[in-house]
Amino acid sequence: MKIALPTLLLGLLLPLAFIEPRVYLTLTVAGLAMGMLIFLVASGLTLIFGLMDVLNFAHGALFSWGAYIGFSVVLALNQRLGWAESPSVGLNALLLLLAILAAMLVAAGLGMVLERVIVRPVYGKHMFQILITLGATIVMEELIRIVWGPNDQVVPIPLTFQGSWDIADVIVLRFPIVAIVLGVAVYLGILLLLKLTRVGLIVRAGVENGEMVQVMGHNIYRYFTAVFAAGSALAALGGLMWAVFSQSVRPAMGGEHLIFAFIVVIIGGLGSVTGSVIGALMVGLAYNYVAFLVPKAAIGVNMAIMVLILLLRPTGLFGAGK
Amino acid sequence: MTSDGPSAAPTPVQASRILEREARFRQPTLYLRLALTAAFALAPVLLPSFQLMDLMLKIALFATLVASYDVVIGYTGIVSFGHAMFFGFGAYAVGLSLGKFGAPTYGYLALAFALGVLVSAALALVIGAFSLRVKALFFAMITLAFAEYALILAVQLSHLTGGEDGISPKLPGVFAVSFTAGKVLGVDVNGRVVTYYVVLVVCLALFLTMSRFVHSPLGRTLQAIRDNEQRAEALGYRTFIFQLISSSFGSVVAAVLGGCYAMWVRYVNPESALSIQIMLDVLLMVIIGGMGTLYGGIIGAAVLLTARTLLPDLRAVGTLMFPGSEILQRLTERWLLYFGILFILVVFFFPKGVIGTVREVLSRRNAAR
Repeated sequence: MKIALPTLLLGLLLPLAFIEPRVYLTLTVAGLAMGMLIFLVASGLTLIFGLMDVLNFAHGALFSWGAYIGFSVVLALNQRLGWAESPSVGLNALLLLLAILAAMLVAAGLGMVLERVIVRPVYGKHMFQILITLGATIVMEELIRIVWGPNDQVVPIPLTFQGSWDIADVIVLRFPIVAIVLGVAVYLGILLLLKLTRVGLIVRAGVENGEMVQVMGHNIYRYFTAVFAAGSALAALGGLMWAVFSQSVRPAMGGEHLIFAFIVVIIGGLGSVTGSVIGALMVGLAYNYVAFLVPKAAIGVNMAIMVLILLLRPTGLFGAGK
Repeated sequence: MTSDGPSAAPTPVQASRILEREARFRQPTLYLRLALTAAFALAPVLLPSFQLMDLMLKIALFATLVASYDVVIGYTGIVSFGHAMFFGFGAYAVGLSLGKFGAPTYGYLALAFALGVLVSAALALVIGAFSLRVKALFFAMITLAFAEYALILAVQLSHLTGGEDGISPKLPGVFAVSFTAGKVLGVDVNGRVVTYYVVLVVCLALFLTMSRFVHSPLGRTLQAIRDNEQRAEALGYRTFIFQLISSSFGSVVAAVLGGCYAMWVRYVNPESALSIQIMLDVLLMVIIGGMGTLYGGIIGAAVLLTARTLLPDLRAVGTLMFPGSEILQRLTERWLLYFGILFILVVFFFPKGVIGTVREVLSRRNAAR
């Protein structure tokens, strides 16, 4: 997209006219982090849609499951071994890594089951896909309430990721930096995987024309399951990171982020990973700037961006319009 | 029809209409419908308990709401998650106009309904205009976002909407709680009873309007779009316009029903009028009853609302039976879990719903004869 980048840059720099530079930098870091966290959720959603033509409403529930699994791991390791409270950077990082691994593995398993049992019988029927994944969302959210209880819980944050760095009088929170780095890594990882590997080649071909891939002798359903599992794992990663970012977990957190992800995916174009990065950054940054300048308007800003983009480009920034 | 003009051969549609009209008094469904209407009308006379009246009217209200949703999802084939939002607009229009800003007069009541309808129609047109252009799938995502946003707004703009506490509007004249007009047929005629019948008549009128709507040429076009959008487009119909008309029509009906709901419960708050739970209820009702049947809503609403009324008793049984175990207690408390499982099972194994399945069985039997 030729106009997307300049528009994004303009949107990035315009608030500088109203905000003091230091505050602006802090807000930008927070906005980028929020954008990257939303991207983690949106990327899975857009990949699944692009390849399988399935709009997965259960994505939000997988987000919550990821958050809760990670939360349990952090809690257990902190209570038994005190890893979160220990000042050792290595132990803190290992704790986060283990939590991420556990969350992603469980979510991938859940995603595989979901795809096999619930989604596969309704391929090609949009309405039934929406209804059945919605049903799955309700069940999975309720299971969270049964297993972990219905109330908010506080997530212990590893010491290394608490607090902030003070770089030349600019306050930079630590965890958002981790989130940004992770987001960029995931984005590059997805791109490289799609561009360089054989699996990526087949998945990309499947996005273009699934039938043809099947004719060429590849069992596309196996790739469907794999992509669904990978998308679920990404949702779980997003959930866990968000849980650490906001220092709390709630059973309903997935639903709210699903709506964020929808908005982002619509802005970026259904099926496009790059589109969802741009969309997520736009939403994250705009939210933080507007929340600082006009707090009351913050909740409406995402919708406003979405409406505007849809009016200009009905298929989204990078949408193929299929 | 046949009396004017030369006796040209009737088109297939006209022929089927003529056949239908001739068989009209022989069909059992007509009498079923009349009996149902009579049951709703006579319920307060025969069994004068408030609980039953409340349940009956809520069934009538939700059955009509589900039917209006069915026009969108079942007859046009577009999934909307904003239907409860329009319902909530109607409810809030009544609440705000009578309770917060106006006074309990008939004028403000009329104004409330006019406003609710206008705002809903305008918003439905706007949402449809930029989301239905590309694909109907966008509509589902965008209406969900708007519904969530409306809920957040209703909670946050508490100086306007009363926030979480909501609004309790007072109703004018014959609808007021204090209104009494003696006894008719052994029933106290008070504001409640008057409201019951007025809302019931509105529901009936809306139901008939929707029935007319889906059986009109416009409705047939909508069904054609649902069955094969590309083909309908190839035949020269601008599917976008028709989908827009359908979703706006459904939304307007939902707004009127929301106003009626606020008149009956005399209370509006975000959870009771705008929450996503109402949308899920309506979805389940339409699936249980059968999509694309219009009358399925009656069955769906009756089943779900009756179950909901009996639920507190079930929960009491649960605590009695498993007093010790916390997980088991939570299992009995989380009725939404069973709701979700039911949701999936119905979509999987019963996708046509009650009415759709019955119709299928009947038509198969007719064909065999």
